Amino acid sequence: MRERKPKRLDVLLFLFLAGFLCWPVVASAQFHPKDTEWPSYAADLAGTRYRPLDQINAANFSDLEIAWRIKTDNFGDRPEYKLEGTPLMVNGVLYATAGSRRAVIALDPATGELLWIHGEHEGKRGGAAPRQLSGRGLAYWSDGKEERILYVTPGFRLICLDAKTGVRIPSFGNTGEVDLKLNDDQDIFPDLITGEIGIQSAPVVAKDTVIIGAAFREGMTPKSMRNNKGYVRGFDVRTGKRLWIFHTIPKKGEFGYDTWEKSSAEYTGNTGVWTQITVDEQLGLVYLPVESPTSDFYGGHRPGNNLFGETLVCVDLKTGERKWHFQLVHHPLWDMDISSAPILADITVDGKPVKAVAQPSKQGFLYVFDRATGKPIWPIPERPVEVGNVPGEWYSPTQPIPSKPAAYSRNGVSIDDLIDFTPALREQATEIASKFHLGPVYTPPTMSKLEGPLGTLTMGTASGGTNWPGGSYDPETHNVYVYACNSCIEPIGLVPAPKEVSDINYVAGTAGRTVEILHGPGENAGADSPKPPRRPAGGGFVRLDVDGLPLVKPPYGTITAINLDKGEFVWQIAHGETPDVVRNYEALKGLNIARTGQETYNIGTLVTKTLVIAGEGHVTTTADHPRGAMLRAYDKATGKEVGAVYMPAPQTGSPMTYMVNGKQYIVVAVSGGPYSGEYIAYALPSTGE
Amino acid sequence: MNALPRGRSIGWESDDDSEMRNAAAIVGLLVITSPLCLLRAQAPAAESRSVWDGVYTEDQAKRGEPIYHKECATCHGDMLTGGESAPPLTGGAFLANWSGLTMGDLFDRIRKTMPQSAPGRLTRQQDADILAFMLSVNKFPAGKTELYRQLEMLKEIRFESAKPAPKK
Repeated sequence: MRERKPKRLDVLLFLFLAGFLCWPVVASAQFHPKDTEWPSYAADLAGTRYRPLDQINAANFSDLEIAWRIKTDNFGDRPEYKLEGTPLMVNGVLYATAGSRRAVIALDPATGELLWIHGEHEGKRGGAAPRQLSGRGLAYWSDGKEERILYVTPGFRLICLDAKTGVRIPSFGNTGEVDLKLNDDQDIFPDLITGEIGIQSAPVVAKDTVIIGAAFREGMTPKSMRNNKGYVRGFDVRTGKRLWIFHTIPKKGEFGYDTWEKSSAEYTGNTGVWTQITVDEQLGLVYLPVESPTSDFYGGHRPGNNLFGETLVCVDLKTGERKWHFQLVHHPLWDMDISSAPILADITVDGKPVKAVAQPSKQGFLYVFDRATGKPIWPIPERPVEVGNVPGEWYSPTQPIPSKPAAYSRNGVSIDDLIDFTPALREQATEIASKFHLGPVYTPPTMSKLEGPLGTLTMGTASGGTNWPGGSYDPETHNVYVYACNSCIEPIGLVPAPKEVSDINYVAGTAGRTVEILHGPGENAGADSPKPPRRPAGGGFVRLDVDGLPLVKPPYGTITAINLDKGEFVWQIAHGETPDVVRNYEALKGLNIARTGQETYNIGTLVTKTLVIAGEGHVTTTADHPRGAMLRAYDKATGKEVGAVYMPAPQTGSPMTYMVNGKQYIVVAVSGGPYSGEYIAYALPSTGE
Repeated sequence: MNALPRGRSIGWESDDDSEMRNAAAIVGLLVITSPLCLLRAQAPAAESRSVWDGVYTEDQAKRGEPIYHKECATCHGDMLTGGESAPPLTGGAFLANWSGLTMGDLFDRIRKTMPQSAPGRLTRQQDADILAFMLSVNKFPAGKTELYRQLEMLKEIRFESAKPAPKK
């Protein structure tokens, strides 16, 4: 059933004719999804991950059983162990991306039966892609008659399918595809096959416009200060025609170009929008969370504030023109990509209604703005921050720090944050930390030296706080619910880059270790028996744990409920069973350790009428369950756990929910370690026990 | 089968135990009559081992280190702590993921899917050496025999995160 263009010309032709005959004369019919459906990646274009369903509730959550499941192993030429997708469910069909092919599958939402599958065979272009595997999902569009599915392949092509058949829509772009490496106001180098640009997030469709960002390889040790740029584009959902483009790195003459001194905007790349985009269709505004510019941790080749790096940008849905922007981090040096969907919330502040946008972040701040104007709801003053001494670096002397709400996860490291179950453990942790430079949020990276510091020990940077799954929003209580890694430590040290590795002066590394070139999947294929590099013996290898225990004290991972009317926490809990390594640690037996939560950055939450639902990111083995992870439900008013159900592997894609035939389902993607990707649908038993 | 674990022998090699000799005769008979029993005969007779029993050598881990850094570190990190798109290969999450399974499961996962650019490109020996390096970083003790490169043999080594209580 896999769709391959040359073999299905007959079907394509039929669909082309059928589509032509059925084409609506006036595109006035609007598609209105029901709140029992899940029509876009985050439930809606506001990024809420909220559905007001209540069949599954506190009283019965633990009774959930598996209604159906589907392994993604065979949707590609190898199994996938990092399934990050969230399916859609609309008009009685469930759609998802799946497997190492990033196939699109359509399933019966009640039974999991496979209805159709579509896969694109991209050969070298797919193999060279910077962001592989199945991605986060896809987009659905309908004018009330026709239904379309849109997704982006690993090789960066936008594909448009007939939602009923999985066959390409021939009138869209070039026989159903738009090559996203073309028509991008830049020449993707070195060529269309290997040129580094792609995306793993789901497209969004708003008012007949498909919006697509861009992603690149991880940027800790890039080969060059030059890279392709991550512009954002809008396309006509009917024709595939490009409607607009927003230059996330301004071109000469455009606003913000002067924030790139020494003409560095010309060659600096990245600065894409690799995570989910949010849209207010009523206001006609699009919210773009922009990532870091080239070279995550060294900015000496891009002096200046570097707009629109790590900036929340609001653009017009029709034209792509900038309406307002707010740079969260000036001259980015910490890999604080804005990593998740901005959340739209209609709130009441000091008695006045406000249309707000709330942006979770890796650094644990929730930035809240008036979404029409960009004015902060609560002041975000510029505060002085430490200026470092890495040669050639350019430092911003201040950074904007929200006065409200308080940071919901740790964003710096002090001795007081270190593990303190016993004085001996604290002592060991202090010894490890003493090899590093410590400080609060925005403490800059240091050069890595054998005699110390090896680097800056950071939290709330590359992998901390909230990453791509983002938060949820409850329009009933006006609360944002957001998971955060509260213990994801990132040592950031810089070392000179050997010329054969990079033309950048300094890249991430550790003194005494050979600099590793960051090569992406496909780049090193064919090198049969590689000659191992010579490595200096012993230098610089410091384990960032204390005898296997996390270096910092719990909670390791949290869910926080933040009320947006007041900018205050409603509750905060540790999310996730205490890890095996802590529960089984000999010297801790007999100590009364409250649930610690888990150190992981990829947990998405779901909000229903009464519950906040999220799975665990780690496997544990306890007296209550065999090796596995739990999908947990919390009372959304209090944060109290009200139920849990067993999953065979950790949650790796955010949960979603829908109703079909009078029954509520929760679908979650699990994978990791020995367990290949699987979508699992949970529902209540049909009959009483 | 040239890499049998130490401390375990196949029946007919034993010459100082009459019971074993009898067992060997029976096993030998079964080997002739049934290919299934051949497999049975090759399974370990002695108590099964875990990663705490010195299942790799220091030299092997040293061999594996540069291969790790060439083939794995770009995604899994210089210190095995993982990256944005690759899980850590050390620490609590890694150990919990594999605890209760076998080294064969971990080896099989690597053979089938790693390196991501070209799964299976490395030799079995290279993969075994990388595993030896990973065991050393995770502070499992080294021993006198190298870690196998045969899946069926690796399946006999249990991966256990918790150090067992001392024997005797």
